[in-house]
Amino acid sequence: MDITLLTAVSGVLVAMASGLVGSFLVLRRMTLLSDALSHVALPGIALGVLFHVEPIVGGLLSLLIGILIIWGVEDRTRLAVESVTGVLFVTALALGATLAPDTELLEAFFGNVERVTASGAFLQAGVALLIIVVALRWLKPLLITSIAPDLAVADKVPERWMKLLLLMLIALTITIGISFVGVLLMSGLSIIPAATARNLSRTYKSFVVITVILAIVAMITGLEAHLLWGLRIGTVTVFVSAFLFVASLFAKRRT
Amino acid sequence: MQPTPLLSVRDLAVEIDGTSVLKNVSFDIAPQEVLAIVGPNGAGKSVLLKTLLGFFRPSGGSISFAPGTRIGYLPQRFHVDSYLPMTALEFLELKRAMPTRLAEVPAKQAGRQALARAIEQTEISPKLLVTPLAYLSSGQLQKVLLAWALMNEPNLLFFDEPTENVDVVGQESVYSLLHHLQDHLGIALIIISHDLHVVYRYANHVLCLNHTMTCYGEPQTALTSAALSELYGDHAFFHHHHFNEKL
Repeated sequence: MDITLLTAVSGVLVAMASGLVGSFLVLRRMTLLSDALSHVALPGIALGVLFHVEPIVGGLLSLLIGILIIWGVEDRTRLAVESVTGVLFVTALALGATLAPDTELLEAFFGNVERVTASGAFLQAGVALLIIVVALRWLKPLLITSIAPDLAVADKVPERWMKLLLLMLIALTITIGISFVGVLLMSGLSIIPAATARNLSRTYKSFVVITVILAIVAMITGLEAHLLWGLRIGTVTVFVSAFLFVASLFAKRRT
Repeated sequence: MQPTPLLSVRDLAVEIDGTSVLKNVSFDIAPQEVLAIVGPNGAGKSVLLKTLLGFFRPSGGSISFAPGTRIGYLPQRFHVDSYLPMTALEFLELKRAMPTRLAEVPAKQAGRQALARAIEQTEISPKLLVTPLAYLSSGQLQKVLLAWALMNEPNLLFFDEPTENVDVVGQESVYSLLHHLQDHLGIALIIISHDLHVVYRYANHVLCLNHTMTCYGEPQTALTSAALSELYGDHAFFHHHHFNEKL
């Protein structure tokens, strides 16, 4: 079991980006969307393996196609994002399961940090930083389209583009999270920390800060558990996050 | 001579998904004027406001704003997730850096001043500012939304009166606040109202809407029994009489 410092740092940045993006998803009630959307990466990963392209590049490409379909269909047909994602996600899952060899499929689901190369870790860290910078730069318009779309339109916030921006951020987060925690387990770093933080916060500022801290805690525990006992990082982050979520319910009851 | 209208609407028609929702709507609104829009549920009142705001594209007619018109908007529904972790102040701060109709984004300093001024104008208490939105009463929430709308320094304000979950005291205070603002800042108002008391008390003009314009003019002359019967059906006739008796 070996994890380089670079991989660990990259993991922490990935956790920060995931937490930040998760905070939008919880406020926007899009929690299941990112979970479902992550499966859309599967056929791309499978095709990457088949055609000897970096699987993560294939995953990113199929995610980008996926979000453009979701965005376009929602924009033109008034179908809810959930129903579009629902159809897309099972189709992608079936395609991925048909195309991908079993071992690759398992890795895509649960992640395999051992396979993260130095250049890969470097790239992940860079993309994570990009996600953080972009999310913070457009924090206000992203937030206002999430919580009060009517006001956003009245104030000439480009709502459609903000929706696309958020979907892009989700796609990038899933892509960089795959090798650490896998597609099935994105929730562990994104949704559950944000849901826990929501139980503990009265202000938006504390909500975001707590979300990011919880995501980092889950990731570091996952990395440690992998180093010490060879456990899969993805499963550990979900257990840690779920445990903290349950604990937050008790803390909330007391306040 | 009539002052130049802030907003001039002529023969407006709106179709949504191929169904005609509005047609033949024409009116003007002058600076500092209060125009009330009344009509039954589903008559297209909110659609009219939203078309003026640019949510829907007109299928016919014209909408022209005088140069320099700045619009504020209080939506009918503002659903606050009961767990939304955000204080009233944090919510208002979201507005600061947003692009306004003025083209240039206000500098940080200007934004802070606009925020402080809007808080003062709406008489929002410091305690209310640090309260999470989810804990506010509907009247308090409307005050916060009004502060939001005032930050652009609008000279035309759209107010879509809520139909549900209204606490009467809160609603009354929002109206007196609007009236006060109209007097002091000279803001023109378009109010969608479900309450004829409000129309008689505050509006200079009233527009009856049921997909098409059925009356338009000063409330005392335009809201005849016949006009109300046409708008709401016959039972409105009694309501109107009952109301007149109370005057």
